[in-house]
Amino acid sequence: MPITDARPPGSTHRALLLLVTAALGRVAGTVVASPIEESIRPLLVARCGACHGPETQESGLRLDVRHRAIQGGDFGAVIVPGKAAESELIRRITSTDHETMMPPDGERLSAAEVRLLTEWIDSGAEWPESEFDRLARATDRDPRLDHWSWQPVVRPAVPAARPDWPVRNEIDRFLQHALAERGLAPAPEADRRTLVRRLSFDLLGLPPAPEDVEAFVADPSVDAHERLVDRLLASARYGERWARHWLDIAHYADTHGFERDQIRPNAWRYRDWVIDALNRDLPYDEFLRRQIAGDVIAPDDPDHTVATGFLAAGPWDFVGQVETKSDVLRRQARADDLDDMLTQVMTAACGVTVNCARCHDHKLDPISQKEYYALAAVFAGVRRADAPTSRAALERHTRRQRELTAAVAAARAEVHALAGRPVDLADIVGGGDGRGGGRKGFGIDPRNGKEADAKARGFLSAITVNAPKPGPTKLVNAVFVPHGADDVPVTTTGLRVSGLPETSKAGWDAIRNGPVASQHSTKLDGVDYAGKGHTILGLHANAGITFDLAEVFATVAVVDPRFRGVVGYGGTTPEAGADYFVFVDGTLVANGRIGCDDGGTAIDVPLPPASRFLTLVATDGGNGIGMDQIFFGDARIEGVPPSLGDEQKRALADAEGRLAALEEELKSLEAPEKVFGPVTETPPPVKVNIRGNPEALGDEVGPGTIAAVASLPARFGDVAMPEGDRRRAIAAWITDPHNPLTPRVIVNRLWHHHFGTGLVDTPSDLGLGGGRPSHPDLLDWLAAELVSRKWSLKEMHRLICTSHAYRQRSVGVPGATASLAVDAENRLLWRQSPRRLDAESLRDATLTVSGCLNPVMHGPGYRDFDYEEAYAPVYRYVTPDRPELWRRSIYRFVVRSTPHSFLTTLDCPNPANLTPARLETTTALQSLALLNNDFMLRQAGHWAKRLERDAGADPAAQVRRAYALALCRDPDEVELAAAVTLVQSAGLVQFCRMLFNANEFIYVD
Amino acid sequence: MRTLAFPCGLHRAGVSRRDFLWELGGGLGGVALAALVADEAHAASRTSNPLAARPPMFAPRAKAVINIFCPGGLSHLDTFDHKPELVKRAGTPFDTTGDVQFFASKPGNCQPSYWPFRQHGECGRWVSDLLPGLAGHVDEMAFIHSMQSKTALHGPAMFMANSGFILPGFPAMGAWVTYGLGSASEDLPAFVVLPDHRGLPPGGPVNWGAGFLPAIHQGTVIETAEGRPPIADLFAPRDHASLVDGEGAGREFLAAVNARHLAPRDDTSELAARIAAYELAARLQLSAPEVTNLSGEPASVESLYRLDHPDIGPFGRQCLLARRLVERGVRFVQIYCGAENTAVKKIRPNWDSHEDLVRDHGYWGPILDGGASALLTDLKAHGLLDTTLVMCQTEFGRQPAAQGKGRDHNAGAFTVWMAGGGIRGGTAYGASDPLGFKAEDHPTFCYDLHATALHLLGIDHTRLSVYNNGIQRRLTDVHGHVLTDLVA
Repeated sequence: MPITDARPPGSTHRALLLLVTAALGRVAGTVVASPIEESIRPLLVARCGACHGPETQESGLRLDVRHRAIQGGDFGAVIVPGKAAESELIRRITSTDHETMMPPDGERLSAAEVRLLTEWIDSGAEWPESEFDRLARATDRDPRLDHWSWQPVVRPAVPAARPDWPVRNEIDRFLQHALAERGLAPAPEADRRTLVRRLSFDLLGLPPAPEDVEAFVADPSVDAHERLVDRLLASARYGERWARHWLDIAHYADTHGFERDQIRPNAWRYRDWVIDALNRDLPYDEFLRRQIAGDVIAPDDPDHTVATGFLAAGPWDFVGQVETKSDVLRRQARADDLDDMLTQVMTAACGVTVNCARCHDHKLDPISQKEYYALAAVFAGVRRADAPTSRAALERHTRRQRELTAAVAAARAEVHALAGRPVDLADIVGGGDGRGGGRKGFGIDPRNGKEADAKARGFLSAITVNAPKPGPTKLVNAVFVPHGADDVPVTTTGLRVSGLPETSKAGWDAIRNGPVASQHSTKLDGVDYAGKGHTILGLHANAGITFDLAEVFATVAVVDPRFRGVVGYGGTTPEAGADYFVFVDGTLVANGRIGCDDGGTAIDVPLPPASRFLTLVATDGGNGIGMDQIFFGDARIEGVPPSLGDEQKRALADAEGRLAALEEELKSLEAPEKVFGPVTETPPPVKVNIRGNPEALGDEVGPGTIAAVASLPARFGDVAMPEGDRRRAIAAWITDPHNPLTPRVIVNRLWHHHFGTGLVDTPSDLGLGGGRPSHPDLLDWLAAELVSRKWSLKEMHRLICTSHAYRQRSVGVPGATASLAVDAENRLLWRQSPRRLDAESLRDATLTVSGCLNPVMHGPGYRDFDYEEAYAPVYRYVTPDRPELWRRSIYRFVVRSTPHSFLTTLDCPNPANLTPARLETTTALQSLALLNNDFMLRQAGHWAKRLERDAGADPAAQVRRAYALALCRDPDEVELAAAVTLVQSAGLVQFCRMLFNANEFIYVD
Repeated sequence: MRTLAFPCGLHRAGVSRRDFLWELGGGLGGVALAALVADEAHAASRTSNPLAARPPMFAPRAKAVINIFCPGGLSHLDTFDHKPELVKRAGTPFDTTGDVQFFASKPGNCQPSYWPFRQHGECGRWVSDLLPGLAGHVDEMAFIHSMQSKTALHGPAMFMANSGFILPGFPAMGAWVTYGLGSASEDLPAFVVLPDHRGLPPGGPVNWGAGFLPAIHQGTVIETAEGRPPIADLFAPRDHASLVDGEGAGREFLAAVNARHLAPRDDTSELAARIAAYELAARLQLSAPEVTNLSGEPASVESLYRLDHPDIGPFGRQCLLARRLVERGVRFVQIYCGAENTAVKKIRPNWDSHEDLVRDHGYWGPILDGGASALLTDLKAHGLLDTTLVMCQTEFGRQPAAQGKGRDHNAGAFTVWMAGGGIRGGTAYGASDPLGFKAEDHPTFCYDLHATALHLLGIDHTRLSVYNNGIQRRLTDVHGHVLTDLVA
């Protein structure tokens, strides 16, 4: 029963007990009659030692030796001498909260034990240093730092070859040395048909064409194999195949994931970059450097900036990061976002599971929680969004856009000045002159008259009521928060109004050119005032605004002006609970109390020629400001346009013409190219999240990385280090030739994909919890070789694929039974391991064999689903015969929330997970999918048609062609007879359908 | 005890077994039957079934789980968590500081339950009038009133309730259970999901994913609508009807080809397993249509589950299917009572009642009540309740303060319940504060719920673990305590 896949040694606790016992024995022999030695230390060892002892120090805390017990853990001292009540140690052992109590499991400390520790601390926590304490202090070094993977890569000597065994290169000498030690021998080389199929699937993810098979089989040259490897590595299909492996560990997808799984229209550029980078063999260190900091290194070069799509490839929660109003939830979502980003970078590049140190020190590896947050600080200024692929191009675009926008506004003002169009008050609130130019969503802070950007504000703090402040433009005389115990001043000139009610003196959000924060509805009586041609002046209680009519009339000629608009309520409370007021020069002209069932109330009041101030006020109805979203729709000052002379008419026509031309140019301005990648900001301070809780903050941490790699400095800078420098620093640390992890990790990944299992069988974990290398020397030799070959991945492929080990047979190996008995998992590689095609290769192979494969490279992914726009978008997979949908699987538009059911059944992983190694399962549902899925059956039909085209009407010829295409060989006589019988009795399509299901098609020898 | 193979009564109608299979499978059943018959000679190949039943760690109380999930956030305050204090403070401001910010709104006034509460059963537990049917079962039910979630966002909270983690990509509870115990059914998936006919819940199929466990452990969706193929790809689509006649010959050819391929490779167990998987597939082609064909159920069962009711009927059908699946040895069945979140429908398609709680809970309450109470009654009648753990979950509760006519999300307190499978009926664990705002007495998370459920299945939650990217992962993360108070 696979209940526990016990990776970390289960004997840790026993070993620890022995150690402690031995230590105590020594102590007992040398020191006597101290309360420490008699009771305190034995108690701490027995009850706390498993997690805070010599082997394990949770949260950096060790309690069995003096200097560490006094020093405390990552969160500071736990013993305050003389003050048991303030000591964390006592707090924890007496807590009843499951989250904080110690010990976390098992029996609680007895009352007597608690009393013992309490009295000891209260009496000063005396702890004379014993010989054991001195020894512990002198030798305080974490033995986990000696773990193999942190140590420098040292190029090992290559073992001697055995003269009687086939050796192609150094790889074979390392492997055969290990085989000989276990009494095993390498398998003979496989035949050419097997090799060409193996190499083709391995390097390209596709079956070889029958002509290529025959050419290779017939090639008499001694280096035919080497030349085949070169040819395959030069194929553009190589990048498509190996990009899949890299995108698995980047958990790339084309949607955000989570509940509102929206499309990322610009993610695919990163996918294409990976394909191209692999095809041109971009040195691996550069490959990583650009993905981590390309936008910093060369912000105007798409070949650098697009690479950083890597940082943003993972999931992103729109609801948690944007939609919710709750700051606590936003902080949680952001913490998860950063965790995802830094975990992806560190596991992909370095194979260290830093994420395990998010809530506490790493349980297995020497990685502290502080180091985790140092890595969080590296990425703290990075958010995921559509980012420009060239900063210069973006700036050019922005400049042109601004110029055009200004020109449009000027032309519009000119038109309006001549024509006397209405002055829109919402536009003025947005900073405009009433005739366009005001920014949507912007507004004015009622506390101080300052411009408010579009960012939603909640409760306004530090309010002074009845203190009018001038607005940001001269068109707004004053804004204020009203409270009507007495007459309320509404202008900066001292004009006061009477009749306003008392309020809660509270405020919410700004006065806005648009809806206020949390406004539920923008519609009144079926008219959506957020729609085209309408405007909203959002005025949440308690707030007031006074417009300076004299200034308004100074800029526009209006005859018989009137104030017109519709006032209504945009909240959800049906009971009328909010009040509005309209004053002209301090005289009340309109007023009412409204709720959401009241619809809109039209306002239409004349503005006498001499009038100076128009004042709009919203108050809370006396029940607090929970639900008071008052707004004015189309609040405008309208009049009769002055009659125009001929010259004015010509000027108007001219201005209108220019306006139309400018608007057209603005509209046709092409947006600069983007990639879903990092958008940066000044990194906010990063503090340790105690127990991983973003609401419980510890010390501030500067950018850095893990110190376990002793060959490189782990501190990057202080908390003021600029954002770009932080990522440059981590990129430099990761790609430093002296970093022992990076080259080991990537050569092991290559090995994993070429042999089915890595030399370390946990390719994203080279730490103490991961697997031990089966051939440590070979791993280091390959790592050294990679660096000395200028980080060329193709050279490493060539080295591996031309080794004898790679060319070995998997079938018909002499002595296999005996070898299986010694090494059933074939970790020593006494043969090649047969492999099942992964989901994408199986789909691509099906399309290749049927003749349908569409080889078009690059561009937005093919969408084999129907998309339905909704709060949570709906994706329904479809299988129509469309060449666009017959592209290679690497170009599939990957939806996070709705996994592709056919591919998932075949073990295609969910892109929520970082997947260093695909699972290979065998299930009845897979059989059903391959037998009955509409895609497979349609492909069987296309394949049958191809066979008729290629081989004519003769069933035997059709069967031979089918075997050549799917299995790279001729059928033998028995197979041919059976197949022909099937074709004749059940049809060619049935035969094709079944051959797609054959083990020989789905497995590679 | 009923026979497991064909309890549907079609034999009585004079339909031969072969005809019956062809009718259900669009003709392919004949092939399946052939494979089934052939399989009897290959009984040994069954041992390669990766879902073969495995012994639990200790004697279990429950053999199977039926998990009813109410996505959107079921209001504890209007169902199971009686708050007299909220009645007293009705209409008064909930938050006078102005500091409280809910998921989508600022708190309105205190809003007591929209349905009156009454005491029920011998235990005297309080249940609101929204759920009269379940109220009749309180002596079989155990409530946890102090549940909390780490988040008030639907997607992450769904993931947490199902997998213990707020991030996607972790194995669902059903996946863990089948990973630990396999399945008692040879012919059906071990972990079956019955989604609401309106659509999938927030977060979609990730909610029943296998995460980093082998794909075999992911939930298999069984289509609940009548007349649709119950499992994707169970049979060839109708467009390919011309392939039906020759399938038998095709399968024989495939078997021969695979056997020849296997001969020199008989040390590669995956190849043999793949051959066996085709035989398992054939059995599935028989058993899946059989289990979803309700025509053999007596009229009394149809009326118990209200199958003819336009709103309650579809959920009743899901509940009845769950009973039939468990009866046939399926280990874990998850039923969704509700779909995704959206405000654009006239009635919300799940429990997420922001705008109008009376409208939306008023719609969903009778659905849950009708199906779930029928399920408890029916399981008991079939002698299955003792060995089947029924759990009813939601991702979080709702706020005691009004949001207009609705309630906003509340991750601070909510109620879940369990029944059967070794649960001590009529009990409760923990409590929320007097307003139902925060869990107060014995605050707990889904970890304890999961730990308790695994315990009843004979699994120690701390020992059901698997290595993934640097860590031994568990359903309960590093948390979880068995709530022994609730165990009989």
